[in-house]
Amino acid sequence: MMETRDKENTDPKGIARLYELTRAILLVNDPEELLNTIASEVVKLFHARGSIIRVAHEGKLYLKASCNLPESFMADEAIAFGEGLAGMAVSEDRTIIYQRGEDPYRPAVMLDIQNAVSTPLKSGSNLLGTFTVFDKTDGEGNIVPFTKEDVDSLEGFATIAAIVIEKLFLYEKALQKEREANEEKQRALELSKYLQSLIDNTADAIITTDLNRTIQSWNIGAENMYGYTREEAVGKSYLLIPDFMLDIERVYTEGVKKGETLKNLETVHRKKDGSLIDVSLTMSPIKDIQGNIIGISGISRDITHRKKTERELIRKNDMLNRLIFISSAMRSTLNLDRLLRMILTAVTMGDGFGFNRAMLFLLDEERNVLKGAMGVGPSGHEEAWRIWSTLSMENKNLNDLIEEIERGPLKKDSFMDKLCCSMEIPLDEVSVLTMSLKNKIPYNVKDVHLQEFAAPLFMQHLGSTAYAVIPLVSQDKAIGVLWVDNHFSRRPITDDDIEYLKGFTSQIASAIENARLFERVYQAEKELENIFESIDDMLYVTDVDYVIRNVNRAVTEKLGMSAKDIIGKKSFEVFHHVFAECETRFREMVNNTDEPFIEEIEDKNSDNTYLISCSPIINSVGKPIGTVHIVRDITEIKKLRARVHESERMAALGEIAAKVAHEIRNPLLSIGGFARRLEKRLNGGLSDYAKIIVEEVRRLEQILNDTLSFVKSSRIERTELDLCKIIESVTDLLEPVILENKNRLIKDLKPLHVCVSPDRFREALMNIINNANQFTSEGTITISIDKRTINVIDTTGKLTKRNEAVISISDTGCGIKKEDMPRIFDPFFTTRTNGTGLGLAITKRIIEEHGGMIEVHSTTGEGTTFKIYLTCKEDEQ
Amino acid sequence: MKLLVVDDEKNILKLYKAELEDEGYTVITANSGKEAIELFEKENPDLVTLDILMPDIDGIRVLRQMKEMRPNVPVIMLTAYDYRDDFSVWVSDAYVVKSSDLTTLKATIKQIIEKGQ
Repeated sequence: MMETRDKENTDPKGIARLYELTRAILLVNDPEELLNTIASEVVKLFHARGSIIRVAHEGKLYLKASCNLPESFMADEAIAFGEGLAGMAVSEDRTIIYQRGEDPYRPAVMLDIQNAVSTPLKSGSNLLGTFTVFDKTDGEGNIVPFTKEDVDSLEGFATIAAIVIEKLFLYEKALQKEREANEEKQRALELSKYLQSLIDNTADAIITTDLNRTIQSWNIGAENMYGYTREEAVGKSYLLIPDFMLDIERVYTEGVKKGETLKNLETVHRKKDGSLIDVSLTMSPIKDIQGNIIGISGISRDITHRKKTERELIRKNDMLNRLIFISSAMRSTLNLDRLLRMILTAVTMGDGFGFNRAMLFLLDEERNVLKGAMGVGPSGHEEAWRIWSTLSMENKNLNDLIEEIERGPLKKDSFMDKLCCSMEIPLDEVSVLTMSLKNKIPYNVKDVHLQEFAAPLFMQHLGSTAYAVIPLVSQDKAIGVLWVDNHFSRRPITDDDIEYLKGFTSQIASAIENARLFERVYQAEKELENIFESIDDMLYVTDVDYVIRNVNRAVTEKLGMSAKDIIGKKSFEVFHHVFAECETRFREMVNNTDEPFIEEIEDKNSDNTYLISCSPIINSVGKPIGTVHIVRDITEIKKLRARVHESERMAALGEIAAKVAHEIRNPLLSIGGFARRLEKRLNGGLSDYAKIIVEEVRRLEQILNDTLSFVKSSRIERTELDLCKIIESVTDLLEPVILENKNRLIKDLKPLHVCVSPDRFREALMNIINNANQFTSEGTITISIDKRTINVIDTTGKLTKRNEAVISISDTGCGIKKEDMPRIFDPFFTTRTNGTGLGLAITKRIIEEHGGMIEVHSTTGEGTTFKIYLTCKEDEQ
Repeated sequence: MKLLVVDDEKNILKLYKAELEDEGYTVITANSGKEAIELFEKENPDLVTLDILMPDIDGIRVLRQMKEMRPNVPVIMLTAYDYRDDFSVWVSDAYVVKSSDLTTLKATIKQIIEKGQ
């Protein structure tokens, strides 16, 4: 019965509904609505209480569509695979039929149902969800079980539902995609709007150009900033660049074309109204997709105002630190050139005062001129660019540079430096520079054409149209001026700049004064040191404990020691063996008095004569802290003085002798001549008497000749002779006299050739040997010949060796008294009652005529040695 | 053979005159430079002996004047001491150091006269 009714119920109706549903799939666009239709159609078909379509998603089943679900049904709750009827259908992959009380299955959800059928929804093997129908009725409210046909019908509906769900998924995916695309589009639209508004609303001027610098785009910021409208600007080139910046602009452009991005260049642009504004400019290349540079973008910001406040704020803060740093560096630098370079670097560095060029002029009071002392700055635009880019590349700041100046070599060859150093401005010339100096006030020349006395010739060399001059005032005295300009950047010099420079210049003025003072002191010290070192007098300084504090070159040479071996030792340790007496005398004087003294001292040890001077060093409170000792070896001078003295005496003597000779010779001549005549004519005893007169006259005439021989300076004729032979001939002649005094004659001779006038030299030797014999009795007279080699400086100044013959004549006689020693070679000096006193004087004269030297050593009671030094023949020229 | 002897000392002139006349010469004497020049001009001597130191005109100037007047007349300078080097620049024919022994002077005169003949 059930089967029949089922057939009646399902067949015609079921097919009609399936057909309608299939049509609905085609007609209804909304898959969710379609699923609900399917759910309700199935309920209608089976007269069921309700139906549920679930979709599978990530292992769970979610309610998607339903029909007649009670309100208590928890629609939100997902059920897991394997759970309840739907879960079982999925996990077992078949249609499950539930009959209350019969089945092991239990509905997962709390639905009070009698029976149900649940089937999985699949597309191919792909699980999409489940379709459950519950509580089938017979049309009159009685619940009846599901039949096999019902299951088939439901599976048929399930197929349609699966197609719909699949369609739903696809639809949802497409919808999602469309939504995302819309969102993307919206975002892009918003960004573009944002960018445009950014470009339009930014205060920065954004300008793009092609590679020829022809303007392509021009934003509102640019319109506002420069005054040109977009229409006016686009298509133009170098619209904003002032003439004087064109060169630099081209350098910038070249850089960007190479791919560089120039960030925050501070430069100057010209507005439509012709005025100049400070801008911070960032230039970057515009590239196409392939990366080729096709244009240049420039973003510029008006920093006139910012610069002003910035300068005010930042500078005020920085200035203090910088001034402290610079002034500490300056204080530690006493070298004037380095100091000047530091000052000018501080004035011209970007993180210093930032001027383009600077020069220092210092007052030369002696010559009454302002003299250029140092200048820094680039010589032209090219150099300016190079320097600034190098500095920014090396990332050097002021501190580094100042340190470099302190330690590094000082370069002084720049164009500006040379130019500056060649400048000299007479003070009586009226110019801004001299006025600034005289009036001690700064001048800010904003336009040289508008200010009187602002463009003297030298300023024209610099090409400067605006500059400032600040006086350097130290202790209320102007010592020079600082000149600055911004020739390359054209940045106007503000009154603020001047104020800051004023603060700076008062510091540098005193630093310069210090350095100049130091330089003067240093110079004076150097000069003193030079004097100290170069004087030939020995000079040494001791402290109160006689410790040597300093010695000069003469001392080190004399001692043959280095200064460092001498300094620090006690003075008597070092000097006692050199000039003991001087040292003793110094100490006596220093101990007794603080007065300086000068004295001549004969040092018995060394036989030298010293002129010594000793002056105390008094400190600022009047206490002696040491002594300066000067020792001059005047031995040679003394000898020279004696020789001069002697030759003066000789000259006087010569004149007297000539007179005497004339006066005496004539009467003698008469006496002698007539006596000769008498002798011839007289006989016997009278003839003898006349003969006596003749003899005596001859003797007198001989004395006369001796005297004259001494004073005359006739040239001697020399011949080469063996010294032995000369000595032999003399001793032959004198042997009888030597024997008469019971003296022994020892000869130690060797052949040695000399070039002498034989008669004169013999006379000299005879005088000495005679002399030795006369002062010796029962003793020994020794004559020896030696040869020695000495160093001499020849006429060309070359050091050469020379051989000398040394003739020694020693006796063992009574010796010469010490007080007589200095006078023994004096004419008319004699200790014998019957001597003329001319013998040794003539001897010395003769030896000296031969270019030789004679000296005497004598000890009273022991004997005397004469030494004659004579150049040997082989060395004579 | 006439000799002119010049000296400011009369005793010396007397000695020289006696000694040289003994040798067979005719001797005239002058005791000043001025007189010497006059006699040299007037008497035309064959030889002159001339003292260097004289009060009025010194011997050197007398020598020069005589040589200018008659360069061929030999002049012997008599000196009080050896002036050899200084004389080398003067144009005297000989010099003799004054001495009470006249041997050298006589020999020199004889030599010059023999050479001149």
